Amino acid sequence: MERSRKQESSRKGGLYILWEYKLPYLFLLPSVILLIFFLAAPLVSGIYMSFQKISLRGISEFVGFRNYRLLLGEGRFRNNLLFSVLYVAGNVGLSVPLAYAAALLITGKLRGIQFFRAIFLIPFIVTPVVSAILFRSMVNPSFGPITALLEMITGKHYIILADSTLAMLTIIGHSFWRSFSFIMLFLAAGIATIPTELYEAGKVDGAGAWARFSHITFPLTKIHLTIVLLIITMWTLQDAETVYALTQGGPGYSTEVTAVRLFKDAFINFNLSYGATIGVFLLMMSAVFMIFYFKLMGGAEHY
Amino acid sequence: MKAKDTISWIGFLLISVFVLFPLFWGIRTSFSPRYETSLIPSRLTLEHYQSLFVRPAFLLYFKNSLTVTLGAVALTLPLALLGAYALARFNFPGKQFGILLLVFPLLPLIAILVPLVSYMYKLGVYDSFMALILVNSVFNIPFALWMLRNFILNTPVEIEEAALLDGCSKIGALCRIALPLMLPGMIAVIVFVFITTWNNYLYAAALTSSMSVRVLPQALLSFIGTWGMYWEGLCAAGMLTLIPPLVLFLFFQKWFIAGLFAQWSR
Repeated sequence: MERSRKQESSRKGGLYILWEYKLPYLFLLPSVILLIFFLAAPLVSGIYMSFQKISLRGISEFVGFRNYRLLLGEGRFRNNLLFSVLYVAGNVGLSVPLAYAAALLITGKLRGIQFFRAIFLIPFIVTPVVSAILFRSMVNPSFGPITALLEMITGKHYIILADSTLAMLTIIGHSFWRSFSFIMLFLAAGIATIPTELYEAGKVDGAGAWARFSHITFPLTKIHLTIVLLIITMWTLQDAETVYALTQGGPGYSTEVTAVRLFKDAFINFNLSYGATIGVFLLMMSAVFMIFYFKLMGGAEHY
Repeated sequence: MKAKDTISWIGFLLISVFVLFPLFWGIRTSFSPRYETSLIPSRLTLEHYQSLFVRPAFLLYFKNSLTVTLGAVALTLPLALLGAYALARFNFPGKQFGILLLVFPLLPLIAILVPLVSYMYKLGVYDSFMALILVNSVFNIPFALWMLRNFILNTPVEIEEAALLDGCSKIGALCRIALPLMLPGMIAVIVFVFITTWNNYLYAAALTSSMSVRVLPQALLSFIGTWGMYWEGLCAAGMLTLIPPLVLFLFFQKWFIAGLFAQWSR
């Protein structure tokens, strides 16, 4: 809308400007229409739907904040929010520091990266449902290798996905497997952009390995760290399919993160008002994380 | 320096084992006799793969996945290419909003799935390939467009200008001169859209209900329900599902990885 108005005004600039502006708008038009119709409009509809009570026959009535009140009044939903935070914190807290350490370790060997890069990135392109099935079969109680390993260490036979703590650790471990090497390669690419002269200058000044890290590498990769934190947080927060494929949110509701709750409510139980309302909660959570990370990034720009 | 090299190589090796073990486990299980407990099976069998192919449904799901994926690639690529060219080569009011394209892929798209399903109902395409192709394309367009924009920015504009001076029209120049130069970028985008669409379970689960349009990830999850804990068969189906994205990725990994990691650092 904004764009077409500007297009109008450019008409005064004669045929040349018209031609110059018309072409790019024309090129962008199909994408923009699709994005407005299937991304921006449903966003607005979703917020609107969250204030309605929608029956299965499609009859809806305005109920104000009723859906929000009902959901927040539920112990189950408060746990959904909590488990989302746990899931995100668990995955990010595990994968980002380890991947950063690994990235520092591998940047010295650029030739090695070329060769191993493709292998490392495989978990990232594996179909999530397939990797979930692989993990489920690895923790299966009759012959799963992880079950056997756990029995060797603890001396007790666990049915891993029937134990709420172990089930949570399984979904975190699975996400860790999927995201670790992506983060590592992302950060390694960031570290590789630091000019080697800086390190040489550091060495001349007598800076040790730790000083070189804390004064050169860390400040210069802070921006990459922030971006990758944001990407992984968003992916983990909205991840419904791998958790659903691994545990269906169980045992009980003990791994039912917010996205899984949305999926189950909206597309299995067809409670559309709850589905839309939980969607708004997820958007609000993303906004909180985004603002938090952008603040961090703002701090990074001072270097 | 030598010691650091050794540590690096040990690191590479450990990460490789960590990354590849689940896949090794999947391959091993899919070729093992039922209830085999040792890590290296005593004998190999093809029975689980055979049991997949005697069910005609599996091939149908494979075909469905391929239809949706190729449809999404065919819809996304030209739209993204046009938009990317506009963003890379023209100056126009509103261009700065292009950065939003990097924000869209981060949003929790699951949040808008409920209204999207009701839109598809109203459009009369619920439970069809069309709905899946549309939604997968729309959700892929932002990142695809941004990726191509950066590729075009990296190809020299002088070649197009020279073509223009030679009397080609702008669109003629784009087709004849710029397109071949953008080939690596286009391949990166094709691989990206193919993999994300092929892998997606969520949109298919939300937008379809009948068996005739079911795609592979949906089929795999429903197998768990109908087969119980038949892990050998599930792993076989999973390994077959992985073949197309894995082959594409390994074949074009150089361009795909370059395309993937270059986008965020600009």
